[in-house]
Amino acid sequence: MSKKTTRSAKPKVDPDAAPQQQKACAIKKVFYISEKLLNTDDDQRMCLERFYHPGKGQPALFITLQERHIMEVLEYAEPRRSWLLNSEVCSNGRMYMTTPIDPTFLALHHLRKHCAQRAMSLDSISVDEADTSTNRLLTKFINADSLKCVADVKTSGELVFYKYNKDRTLAWLAVKTRQVVSVLKAKQVHCGLGAKSQNFVRSEKIVDDNDVKEVDYLRMACDYVGRYLDADLHAELTRYLDIPSEIQALVEENATAKKRKSQQSQVSANSKKIKLANGEDAATQLRNSSLLDSDDNKESIISPPSTLAPLKERTMTAKEKVLAKSAKGSKSIASFFKVK
Amino acid sequence: MSITLDFDAKQLDNKRPLQLHYLPVKIDGNGECANVDKFFNNYTRESSEYGPGVLTNSLRGYPLVGKRESVPKGLKGVVLQETDPHQEQRQLRLTGTFEEFTYWNYDKVPSKGDAYQQALILLDVADALASPITEEQLEEELKRYQQAKKENT
Repeated sequence: MSKKTTRSAKPKVDPDAAPQQQKACAIKKVFYISEKLLNTDDDQRMCLERFYHPGKGQPALFITLQERHIMEVLEYAEPRRSWLLNSEVCSNGRMYMTTPIDPTFLALHHLRKHCAQRAMSLDSISVDEADTSTNRLLTKFINADSLKCVADVKTSGELVFYKYNKDRTLAWLAVKTRQVVSVLKAKQVHCGLGAKSQNFVRSEKIVDDNDVKEVDYLRMACDYVGRYLDADLHAELTRYLDIPSEIQALVEENATAKKRKSQQSQVSANSKKIKLANGEDAATQLRNSSLLDSDDNKESIISPPSTLAPLKERTMTAKEKVLAKSAKGSKSIASFFKVK
Repeated sequence: MSITLDFDAKQLDNKRPLQLHYLPVKIDGNGECANVDKFFNNYTRESSEYGPGVLTNSLRGYPLVGKRESVPKGLKGVVLQETDPHQEQRQLRLTGTFEEFTYWNYDKVPSKGDAYQQALILLDVADALASPITEEQLEEELKRYQQAKKENT
């Protein structure tokens, strides 16, 4: 009885206590912050800001410092993760990591949108935009020099105008993609089709090397770069790099696999026939099967019509053989009608 | 809308390192819990049969296998807390820092196959993507592409 009361008493206490605790401690967040942002002498504060992210098609979180540095904030989340901080529970099992980003990617979206037909200066681009973050992004964080890679630059007096250049942009993106490929290779990231256990990749590494193709790395890298691009520009880059789509690659792979299979079945069928055939037939078959060519060409030319019948017959003989086997030991019917 | 991270580098150095456990569980609720040292840390054992540096423990009877993980190079582990989410100017205050934490898996030895480890690869990929490209590299690529085009036609 006493045991029961303590059990029922406990949950009653908890609901009252819980709200108080939550008030005392708002949700904590675990960050990995790059030391590049931390090792500055002056005491400027870092800021979390939202800018338009072309890959996501909506504003995303970035971390900025002194209107000079900008980094992306990536969120790492698993379905079931929580933190224990000293003796506190933190239900927010996410991890926020700051990763470097080339702000040119962010500018590219605006350049394509506004500067495809005519050259514009950066501060006039953002006038059209209702959102002030675009203005801030383009005028503060974009390194004007780096835009040379994606645009034609014209200067007149103090004003600098930019016009989007597709060829240069694609070339620039291709070089970026190759940089990513080299990292993927160095890290031995599995890029092939389908999933593979990490252990499997490890142990079969030597064999596997031929399996993972250059194209697979390129596709993975291109998809990664594409996460920072508008969808149509990503498609253009894929075309530029000559990457076949994953489905196409799958179909091709299947085709080659099927070919191999059918070849195999043919071979096995042949071997079966040889097994079944008796000695004489095997010899004729061997002669026809072009395994023994050049020896007696004449015969092989003549023989096809003659061997077509035996081939059919042979299947019969196989049946007959079984019949004969079962009939073994029994008297021949003819023996009954013999005149004694 | 922006959120200020209200601390500077000096504050980072003064803070005592936090002790962190990354648990494979979903917990509804935040705040002070029972004595972690007495009821959890006390039972952490090193189990060499799973490999070097592998730790075991259990949470509510579920076995945990863990490993000490250090914060990746070039990054600093920081725990932040929002003071008042309803304020106009949102601010994040510094709670503490950490160099290391214990990564726990449920019933699985921590390995390269873990999602967390794979996420770390992404950091290097992002580095590669962000590294600047020189004018020469770009010119080379342009030339290469022109040549490839000519060969195809």
